[in-house]
Amino acid sequence: MDAKAAGATFAPYEFPIERGKIREFADAIGDPNPLYRDGAHAAKLGYANIVAPPTLLRTFLYEPKAASDALKVKDWSYIVHGEQEFEYFAPILAGDVLTAQDRIVSITEKESRRAGKLQIAVIETVFHNQRGEKVQVARRTLVETGKRIEP
Amino acid sequence: MIRPTFTTINVSDAPPPLVCGPVTRTHFVRYAGASHDFNPNHHDEVYAQKNGNKSVFGMGMLAGGYCARLLTDWLGERALRRLRIRFASRFWPDDVLTCMAWVTAKREADGDNEMGLIDCEFSAVNQAGEVVIRGDATAALPR
Repeated sequence: MDAKAAGATFAPYEFPIERGKIREFADAIGDPNPLYRDGAHAAKLGYANIVAPPTLLRTFLYEPKAASDALKVKDWSYIVHGEQEFEYFAPILAGDVLTAQDRIVSITEKESRRAGKLQIAVIETVFHNQRGEKVQVARRTLVETGKRIEP
Repeated sequence: MIRPTFTTINVSDAPPPLVCGPVTRTHFVRYAGASHDFNPNHHDEVYAQKNGNKSVFGMGMLAGGYCARLLTDWLGERALRRLRIRFASRFWPDDVLTCMAWVTAKREADGDNEMGLIDCEFSAVNQAGEVVIRGDATAALPR
């Protein structure tokens, strides 16, 4: 990875939170919670629409490639997704339009007996809704191993 | 389910474990479509084996979704303030994952007298007791 990419920020991108996607995601993780499906149930709990499950937003981080391209990884088969973190500030509802912005927080090095020299990149994505409220921050940690290890 | 409050919850409290599976290739494919994770190691048997795996294997974030459900079932959908998932090992078709969580600390929420914060840790282990993911979370609970 290119350590000089640390600190880089990227152009914001926008995406809608669709009702069908929330339900599809809840089905895929086997979560039967009616808050992810039933608008009337959500209204009873004080929400204007059905709500996004806690790990949904990772879904929207595969396509934007600017931040991962900036890492200048030579071979992605040496990259392991080590960690994924979310911070929650406000609920995300079906019908919201979110704006996301990526930043490479840090690229650090570490020695590992099992995998040789490691480079560890943290990419942070800040999500705002259509009212400009910060709703969530996601941080993913990508680890480049010095030699190929089991994924 | 009666939800704990900051007053009633204590360090080392834990919800009943959530058992998920046996997981199948169909679960992986369904999660691939829902989550946009199209890494072929998770859906393409030929690719996964060529890459040194015994078969396709599950996404760490699928196990993360199972654990997030354990936390929201236990603490409520409004409670989570932070969630961190650390990927430890692969899981395979036919594995059964058991998700567990436990409280590690109780503390005051800055500037909010109506809520208190708890920290907890969680993990998903396979039928042999091997950790697939582990993580930690912070939640705000009413007093």
